[in-house]
Amino acid sequence: MKKKILVVDDEKNIRLLLVEELTDEGYDVVTAKDGAVAFEMIQAEKPDLVTLDIKMPGEDGLSILRKIRETEYDLPVIICSAYSVYKSDFSAVAANHYVTKSSDFEELKNKIREILSYES
Amino acid sequence: MNLSESPLINQKLAVDDHAQEQLHNLKHADIIIGIPSYNNADSIGRVIKAADLGLAKYFPNRKSVILISEGGDHEKTRNAVNGLKDKNYFEDSFIAKPEFETEVLVTQYRGTSGKGTAIKAIFEAAKILDVKAGCMLDADLRSISPEWIELLIAPIIYKEFGFVAPYYSRHKYDGTITNMIAFPLTLALYGRRVRQPIGGDFGFSLELIESLLSKDVWETDIARFGIDIWMTTVAICENFRICQSFLGAKIHDAKDPGNDLSPMFKQVVGTIFSLINIYMDSWVRVKGSKPTAIFGFESEVAPKPIDIDVSNLIDKFSDSVPKYMPVWRKVLAPENCKKLEEVAKADPALFEMPVDLWIKSLFDFSIAYNLRTDGMDPAEIIEALVPIYYAMTASFVRRTQNLDSYQAEELITQQCSYFEKLKPYLVERWQNEKKGDM
Repeated sequence: MKKKILVVDDEKNIRLLLVEELTDEGYDVVTAKDGAVAFEMIQAEKPDLVTLDIKMPGEDGLSILRKIRETEYDLPVIICSAYSVYKSDFSAVAANHYVTKSSDFEELKNKIREILSYES
Repeated sequence: MNLSESPLINQKLAVDDHAQEQLHNLKHADIIIGIPSYNNADSIGRVIKAADLGLAKYFPNRKSVILISEGGDHEKTRNAVNGLKDKNYFEDSFIAKPEFETEVLVTQYRGTSGKGTAIKAIFEAAKILDVKAGCMLDADLRSISPEWIELLIAPIIYKEFGFVAPYYSRHKYDGTITNMIAFPLTLALYGRRVRQPIGGDFGFSLELIESLLSKDVWETDIARFGIDIWMTTVAICENFRICQSFLGAKIHDAKDPGNDLSPMFKQVVGTIFSLINIYMDSWVRVKGSKPTAIFGFESEVAPKPIDIDVSNLIDKFSDSVPKYMPVWRKVLAPENCKKLEEVAKADPALFEMPVDLWIKSLFDFSIAYNLRTDGMDPAEIIEALVPIYYAMTASFVRRTQNLDSYQAEELITQQCSYFEKLKPYLVERWQNEKKGDM
């Protein structure tokens, strides 16, 4: 059975790009453009992993991460942000991994593979 | 382990009495994280936080201790530790506190002043606590993240490795002693490609530290900056299982080799040379080199650029020629000494140190240091190598100034293959010297 990934990012182009990249990797991919939609999707779609942007209008990724950890402690979360500052100040340490966005998403794909291989 | 039952009880311990008592009260821990420090109170808080969060995140059910081994202002470090006592950082990062709260202790180590003795105190604590695994972290780290704890400890606990060497992304001019000497010599002599054999952040098993503590080296230069290369070499030569963990960028207080690194150079290179003699039976037989497994994902990170003053290095080399030529004539093979004189006479604008001359010089110096001192003090021999190292570093900077870090890394790999190719030169000269001694 295909693993399901929820991509949370406010930028439509990034969501589309990640859908394409991760679908090519053999995953089912669902997306959310903000925190409210993300929580609906977590309940409805029961994803195996979440990729989460941090800087988003409204509720930011760190706040979403905190809520995920309060309710779904074991759900793997990978922060995928253009900024590395949240890694260096440890504020995103509750995520399973932190990836700085790159054009080929190679590190993100590798980490997803690694985390989901532990899960299966 | 009860202190009275500890085999360490009859030795003069580096860990101080107060810390011993605290360790005794704790009785046992699964993991120890050691932080050797010398007046690093300003930066140590970040390292402690990362270590504590890393333990809680990756080893929440293990009993753990963080021990700071301070060689400088003990009180200032203790104040920095006390400032973190409320552990607010757990709430800020919404990581659940672990089953056993990590104890953070400070010891003012006793014995020969230097990093090696700071590490010895941590090893003694690890033995007293009978830990399963531990890791060491530099106190001046600015790039550490809690993941480092998993990367350094997990291979010991889950994969039964004895030693986990760090694997960093570094700027091409950071770690010149590593790149010019420690990495290629370890690779060529002992046949293992350990990219950062003098990295200050590493993981260890209890078996490895028992072996290290049993050796009578703690009053020598090894007890200073030689400790890292000594541990790596012992782990390789005594067949401990070794791996590397990719830790990302190492951002710390890096130094220009022309300004700051001379004492470190002497202690590291002195230790490397001493080890060449100790493990002669091992390296003479080794041909080629094996890769070392790497854990963690090698991500693209951009280490902070480091400036090296090339003119300063060339000037230091050229200015030292009259002073050191008498020593070079005694130490170097005549053809190598002649070539070095030619390098010194070259126009600074065209300055270049040939790689093969550098390698043969290193080999000649290692022989002189161990077998043919000609009445010279070994420290004097090492001191005479420093200007040649400056020349090689200047030459490396010149060759790589238009290269990115990946291309510079390829050049270092290429240089390593020259070390391997020229190893028979060392073997032959070493054996001839030995025969001459008999």
